[in-house]
Amino acid sequence: MALMTCRAFLNDLRLRMEGTPSLDAEAHIRNCPSCRHITEDLNAIHSAARSWRAEEIEPPAHLWASLRLQLEREGLIRDDRGSQLELSNSGWFSRWFAGLPRPALAGGYLVLLIAVAFGFSRPANRQANEARWLEGTQVSTSPLSAQLTAEQVSFASFNDSNPAVTASLNKNLAIVDNYIALCEKSVQEEPQNEVARDYLYEAYQQKADLLAQMTERGENNR
Amino acid sequence: MPEAEAIRLAQQGNAAAFERLYRLHNRRVYSLCLRMVGNTAGAEDLTQEAFLQLFRKIATFRGESAFSTWLHRLAVNVVLMKLRKKSGTETSLDELTEPDEESGGPRRDFGGPDLRLSGSIDRVHLQRAVEQLPPGYKAVFVLHDIQGYEHNEIAEIMDCSIGNSKSQLHKARMRLRELLHEATRDKAREDRKAASADSGGED
Repeated sequence: MALMTCRAFLNDLRLRMEGTPSLDAEAHIRNCPSCRHITEDLNAIHSAARSWRAEEIEPPAHLWASLRLQLEREGLIRDDRGSQLELSNSGWFSRWFAGLPRPALAGGYLVLLIAVAFGFSRPANRQANEARWLEGTQVSTSPLSAQLTAEQVSFASFNDSNPAVTASLNKNLAIVDNYIALCEKSVQEEPQNEVARDYLYEAYQQKADLLAQMTERGENNR
Repeated sequence: MPEAEAIRLAQQGNAAAFERLYRLHNRRVYSLCLRMVGNTAGAEDLTQEAFLQLFRKIATFRGESAFSTWLHRLAVNVVLMKLRKKSGTETSLDELTEPDEESGGPRRDFGGPDLRLSGSIDRVHLQRAVEQLPPGYKAVFVLHDIQGYEHNEIAEIMDCSIGNSKSQLHKARMRLRELLHEATRDKAREDRKAASADSGGED
């Protein structure tokens, strides 16, 4: 029987790698170190790639915030009220601190945001960045900001049956408005800073969270 | 919320449903993009673009194929478009392979006792080599060998035949082998240079 040539072996190598080896190819590989090494190399590449398979990598958290913002800008998210309630239930703030009283959390949130705001506020490039902010971020966040302001107007006469709760929620709303102002200032100064922009977005989320709570309490009191 | 319900609600513009679908699939799409482009900034842009396209078109999804296959088809197309733009050409998938690969036999007889890769492939080297693959090879290799798709799924995702998927995978592995050998040779050359510089310095 004529032995298989290296060229014929290489022509059949794909089938062999797919799991259908021929007897001729098996005989050839036993006697040909060069073709055996090619096969071993391909198996090593396949094994190295497979070892990656189990590792699915989590994308950064800001990606969803950015995507959601874009969906809002394009009008793909249509259930505005539903989206606010969903924010209140699934936002990172709510998930992490679900069991704690809101007034206590607001202080911590203030500290965090102030730290972030000051951390990212650098005087350099302020004027150059101002124009970019006006053209970029302000456009991208203004629909959300305007929507929240409109919602807030509708709560101007909000009154819970418990005056302490009303006072607490209104106080927290004022605090969050201050966070937003600080974050907007930071982003104006460094519009290219994605972290600062994420915090601004999260400050908006926090406001939406509070407004959603006020909605719920308002409906429960009726 | 089950996926089918999330799809139905997302088709009505429900924000929670969009987020649910994103959370269900973001890891797989991001991993695919990261392995295709090799850098996080590019992978983030492509992941966002893939999901944007998905959500823009979700109203047209009728369930003829699996939702994940549909999403991955979008993601692969987004990545391939990006890679085509990067290379400055508008080409078909077949043209994204190498021109002399369709001649039937191997381009040259690779290998030899001094060039074995077995046991020496680390991820950094493999990732670098994958980045150098032509986009069509890269997509099939990442989908099959790394992401674990079967050829019939890849054929659906990439809109090609099963045979074409198998053929491209084999060529991708052969090309990777060549690239890894080149890297090994370059490294050996650099090591020799460094060693001779060290011994020269000692004189």
